[in-house]
Amino acid sequence: MLKNYLKVAFKVFLRRKFFTFISLFAISFTLLVLMVATSLVDHVIGPLSPENKLSRTLGVYFLSLGGENNQSNGLPGYGFLDRYARNLPGVEKMSIFEQVGYKDAYRNSEKISLYVKRTDGEFWQIHEFNFLAGGPFTSDDDKNVNFVAVINESTRKKFFDDQSVLAALGQTIEVDGQRFRVVGVVADVPILRAIPFADIWVPISTTSSASYRRDLQGSYQAALLARSRADFPAIKSEFASRLPNIEFPNPKEFNVARAGADTRFEAVARMFIGNGRETYPRTLLAILLGLALLFMVLPTVNLINLNVSRILERASEIGVRKAFGASSWTLVGQFVVENVLLTLIGGLIGLVLSVFVLRLVNQSGWIPYADFQLNYRIFLYGLALAIFFGLFSGVYPAWKMSRLNPVEALKGGTR
Amino acid sequence: MTRHLLKMVWNRKRVNFLIILEIFVSFLVLFGVVVSTVYLSDNYRQPLGFSYQNVWNVNVQQPGRDQSPNDKTPAITLRQIMQSVHELEEVEAVTGIGHSPYSGSSWGSSVEMNGRKIQYGVNRAADNFKDVMGLQVVNGRWFSAEDDSANFEPIVITQRLAREAYGDEDPIGRRFGELPKADAAASLEPEKERRVVGVVAEFRQHGEFAGLENFHFYRFTYEKSPSHLLIKVRPGTTRAFEEKLSRKLRGVNKDWSYEIEPLVNMRENSFKLYLAPIIAAGLVAAFLMIMVGLGLTGVLWQNVTQRIKEIGLRRAKGATANDIHTQILGELFVITTFGLLLGVVIIVQLPLLEFMSFLSTKVYFYSIGISLALIYLLTLVCGLYPSRMATKVQPVEALRYE
Repeated sequence: MLKNYLKVAFKVFLRRKFFTFISLFAISFTLLVLMVATSLVDHVIGPLSPENKLSRTLGVYFLSLGGENNQSNGLPGYGFLDRYARNLPGVEKMSIFEQVGYKDAYRNSEKISLYVKRTDGEFWQIHEFNFLAGGPFTSDDDKNVNFVAVINESTRKKFFDDQSVLAALGQTIEVDGQRFRVVGVVADVPILRAIPFADIWVPISTTSSASYRRDLQGSYQAALLARSRADFPAIKSEFASRLPNIEFPNPKEFNVARAGADTRFEAVARMFIGNGRETYPRTLLAILLGLALLFMVLPTVNLINLNVSRILERASEIGVRKAFGASSWTLVGQFVVENVLLTLIGGLIGLVLSVFVLRLVNQSGWIPYADFQLNYRIFLYGLALAIFFGLFSGVYPAWKMSRLNPVEALKGGTR
Repeated sequence: MTRHLLKMVWNRKRVNFLIILEIFVSFLVLFGVVVSTVYLSDNYRQPLGFSYQNVWNVNVQQPGRDQSPNDKTPAITLRQIMQSVHELEEVEAVTGIGHSPYSGSSWGSSVEMNGRKIQYGVNRAADNFKDVMGLQVVNGRWFSAEDDSANFEPIVITQRLAREAYGDEDPIGRRFGELPKADAAASLEPEKERRVVGVVAEFRQHGEFAGLENFHFYRFTYEKSPSHLLIKVRPGTTRAFEEKLSRKLRGVNKDWSYEIEPLVNMRENSFKLYLAPIIAAGLVAAFLMIMVGLGLTGVLWQNVTQRIKEIGLRRAKGATANDIHTQILGELFVITTFGLLLGVVIIVQLPLLEFMSFLSTKVYFYSIGISLALIYLLTLVCGLYPSRMATKVQPVEALRYE
């Protein structure tokens, strides 16, 4: 039966090529946009290298201080993280790192600006960087204020030209007036993965003044690697219970701290919706789904419109089938199968197109080190969307078709 | 004729309803993109208020900024830095500012005056800032050494802010806002009462594409805001100057860190932030419109084939090809108008609900007009081929069906 439907479907597609083209265009374009958008989201918050362990990682990314007349939203300081986010139950490893800063470096009087990230030894155990040569610096390097650095592949090329990767090890780079010895070279990390991203990573202790160690607010963040996801609630509640006990240096200025141990999605929600103060992951999810739905309304209405027209065109075929005893349900089934088939073909075209578009974006250099990729997760989302789309735009026209009066339909009637 | 068309449309309301819905949604999507574009291009044409040519920005960061406010070293170091930069032959002038233009960082505040809340952007600017950046003083004066001994906090505001705060009255010497509360020491606002000493024509810190905003300057004092320097260089200075400058800066204090960037580059980067989303949204909208156009053509074509009987009959009764053409396009016009009316009704609600209150009425109405015209154009183009097909229907084809 299904085989028959498919055969009929192909005949129908070929008979009205213009309509088939329009439908395919609409479906493939819509899925293209949705897949590119999904891959963008995945690029930012998905569990991709070097954040392979993201699914069991929490982070303290924002800190909001409040007082009677004051409100300061920003990043936590080293002192805050060191005192209040350390030794949480269920946390296997914890890393504190500075937000990247854009610093000047010079090579033969030519300026090369680099994104510098200061971090500790645990950073390299939580994240799985792809080392092309050498290795990470350690907690001891950080403790002993060793001026060592890990650089990414692009930086290596900028400073050491076409020498081999290994030749870069042991050489020095002068950044922001300090000289660092290169101990490792890693593959580039996309700029949109804000937590691990940098051009050069150096120990926190090399910061030129030690005053950062006391600060409540500053430019630091922490990653907490839990033993498993099951530990998340305990970590979150323990961290939350510590917040009321913070010693404020000047309680007249600030006396309330708001922060949380967030998953990446919660962190995004905290930044964009909660104003850095609270996290509303459900609201963010609703907004994202709402936007996607809003975007899909137009193509769907367009497709329903087309399908209704196509059915009326096939009125006589339907009349004949009804006259020979086909039930309404059979006809609905046939039409929905046809429509889902069409959407799947369109989805496939959209998939191929999105591979090209993403490659174009990657190569264009609009976003430094961009590495947008389609993976099986995005593919599955796309497939699910295509089927949803096919069902959604096929059901109303099919229902309308099944209600055609056979006698009218045979006469080529339209009402 | 119109009544007849309305009746025809009504008779086929099921099919037409879907088309109306499609046009309605298309209009909303198109309006979203058009209104953003019109808004940005309207902003772009407004005066900027300063000149960015040959000005380089130096972002000065000192580690451990939480030192006590009584620490005089940062201020002294900053003075030294400015002096030694001035010694470079390429440098014409050096000035200080709280947040540099195009940097994206900002400081906003608001004040209650005449029972109304007025919002404005704030910055600190040094005494020579006006000349280095080419600001135009229209009333009063810019900051100068005579403010050193003043017992009030001198401020310079833009014309826009002056008009909003004082109407047509002369703002010079007037108080701005309430006296700050006694415990305001921790905040960024000064402790003394603010008085207007001058009015500048315009200052749009975030650049050409940013929305128009009121602006308010405090006097740059080395003690409070050693964060950004703006350096005016001689025309023709190349980027090789950068390393020289960097050496010089590091020579004064090597523990501070410096980010050097010509304003022209910062301007281009800030443009990207404004334009990239619009370009992406515009591309998506363009494809959506092509899709809608193709869909409409298909549906209309289908309608015409279905109505061959009716059209043939009309031809047989003496209607000319032109009559048929007019009828098909007329029906389409009526349907489109329905969809658009619905859209306009929705969109007019937005400013009433203060949803997009930052848009001026002019931008708003221009955008509605442009979107309407574009949709009419789209439907006209879509209708042309099917209606031409309809004119080719021969009377004899109508007879074949009976």
